[in-house]
Amino acid sequence: MEHSLILLHNDQIVFTSDEHWLYPLFELEQYLINSAIPIEQLFLKDKIAGKAAAALIVRLGIRNCFIELLSERALPVFEQYGIKYSYNQMVDHIQCRTEDLIMDKMSMEETYLFLRKRAGKVQGTTLKIKELAVEISGKSILQDLELDLGRGEQLVIQGENGGGKTTLLKSILGLINPVHGSILIGEELVGSSAWQKNRHQTGYLNQEITRNNFPITSAEVVAIGVSGIKISNSEREYRIELAMRKTGCFSIRNEMFHQLSGGEKQRISIARCLCQNARLLLLDEPTSYLDEKGKEELAELLIDLSRNEAPTMLLVSHDSNWTDQLKWPHKTLKNGKLW
Amino acid sequence: MVELFSYTPILKGFIVLIFLGFAFPITGVYLLRMNLLPLRFMLMHGAILGGALSLAMEVNPFGGTMAINLILVLLMTWMSRSLKADPGQLSAFFMVLSISLAFIFIYRFQVPAKDTLSLMWGSLYTLNNYEFVGTIVFSMILVLFQAYYRHQLRAVFFDADIARTSGVNETGFYYIIILITAITVAAAMKLIGALLLDAILLLPALIASYHAKSYKSMVLWSSFWGGLFASIGFLLSLLFELPASSTIAVFASAVFLILILTKKK
Repeated sequence: MEHSLILLHNDQIVFTSDEHWLYPLFELEQYLINSAIPIEQLFLKDKIAGKAAAALIVRLGIRNCFIELLSERALPVFEQYGIKYSYNQMVDHIQCRTEDLIMDKMSMEETYLFLRKRAGKVQGTTLKIKELAVEISGKSILQDLELDLGRGEQLVIQGENGGGKTTLLKSILGLINPVHGSILIGEELVGSSAWQKNRHQTGYLNQEITRNNFPITSAEVVAIGVSGIKISNSEREYRIELAMRKTGCFSIRNEMFHQLSGGEKQRISIARCLCQNARLLLLDEPTSYLDEKGKEELAELLIDLSRNEAPTMLLVSHDSNWTDQLKWPHKTLKNGKLW
Repeated sequence: MVELFSYTPILKGFIVLIFLGFAFPITGVYLLRMNLLPLRFMLMHGAILGGALSLAMEVNPFGGTMAINLILVLLMTWMSRSLKADPGQLSAFFMVLSISLAFIFIYRFQVPAKDTLSLMWGSLYTLNNYEFVGTIVFSMILVLFQAYYRHQLRAVFFDADIARTSGVNETGFYYIIILITAITVAAAMKLIGALLLDAILLLPALIASYHAKSYKSMVLWSSFWGGLFASIGFLLSLLFELPASSTIAVFASAVFLILILTKKK
């Protein structure tokens, strides 16, 4: 094969890729989004496929394929989903760490999200905190705090009120200067000039937001997400509409923000973060002013967000009943450290 | 009444009033939104100090009031941000300090108190060319500033932390807003007086806040009401041969009252 991947329609080549690893399949995903060809009429030729590639082929909806070098680990996936396959050579496994990391108990959606994160095809960025120490009015709030979050990962931080959860978020946002340690968002050190230029990549939902009574429409609140960057008016409108449609609040775009319910306000605030293309989302007690219905809706929205755009999300809350619904990893902030 | 406009001071006063009527209420929106109401009391007293100093030094009081107000707001803002002190309390402190110093200057340099306190009433018809052009230019700068930075200002007014995390230079905008407020108050004092400047500065923004549903409409309505009060109030003052600033203030208050009562019904 002269290309890494070839897509055929009625024996005509309609798409090729010369990328490596899983990237040809992610490129194909983008092609298929914009293609009008019925997917069942397509035939895929790939150089190498293991379990990971097989899962992606299934996820793309491809039904027929030829693989030059096929791993035995891909067969159960193809057979489970009824994919017609042929191959040139079969091996018991291929040298790929990703294939080893896919667990049998993972669902197709979990596998797909895992592969996207591994390929950097999620909105999320990395967060690395090392030996962080923060003092407020001479009192130590955080000490030697360490945290490492990968792209598109989520974490819930629990702890008592006044334990330093908000201080941690404000330190990550650069609103509080640490006395020691470093915070890296992606490759940028918080406080550096590079970070300053891309500050909008960190979205923030604070506790006070639901009490704001400033005369402002929902669409204007979402527009705040792009107020720190220079874009054309048409791009601005497009991003606002897209973010509001994704979060299901486009119908209330002209409503006054302070007249909305707590749940609707949080929906708008998440739309604001999406509008600013936030790669790291910090949520500070987002259920503080929500009733049960609002909490349920917010949980659904966050789970949906973690599966689609998948920004890296750090949520602090003392509402453990609600955070349990999210099924995200938990840590506890106690004595200035994460446990 | 039309023939009165053939008098240069009246024509100049009317032109300036139209410009400031439409532009200055934008500052009123800033004052309301950023809860800077105590600041304007400090600026009023600062203007009296500036006037007393200028008269003692025999220089133009307009420049003196402007300079003192700028120094006061910069000091107040710097102290509130760096020392994390309450802006309201600092405003009260500077207000007391300003008026105390003003009366020390009045006493020490035997400045006629009447001349200093004339700032309380304003003098629309005694504008020199610099003041005339300066006020028009500042009004235009204010409108352009609002139009160009409307997105960033909306973010700052909504929530300071959210603005910062969206990439807006919130601190920079805060300082600019404070400076604009200082210049607006000093200019408005010269034109319509300390006691009546709220008719142009705050009442239009207050009325707009009752019916505005968005930030954009609040700014536009404030500007509309300000322009209406200034122009109609001025014409009424000529018609009934009343002081312009007082007539504008009474007209604005009457409209405010009618709208409040109508809203209650």
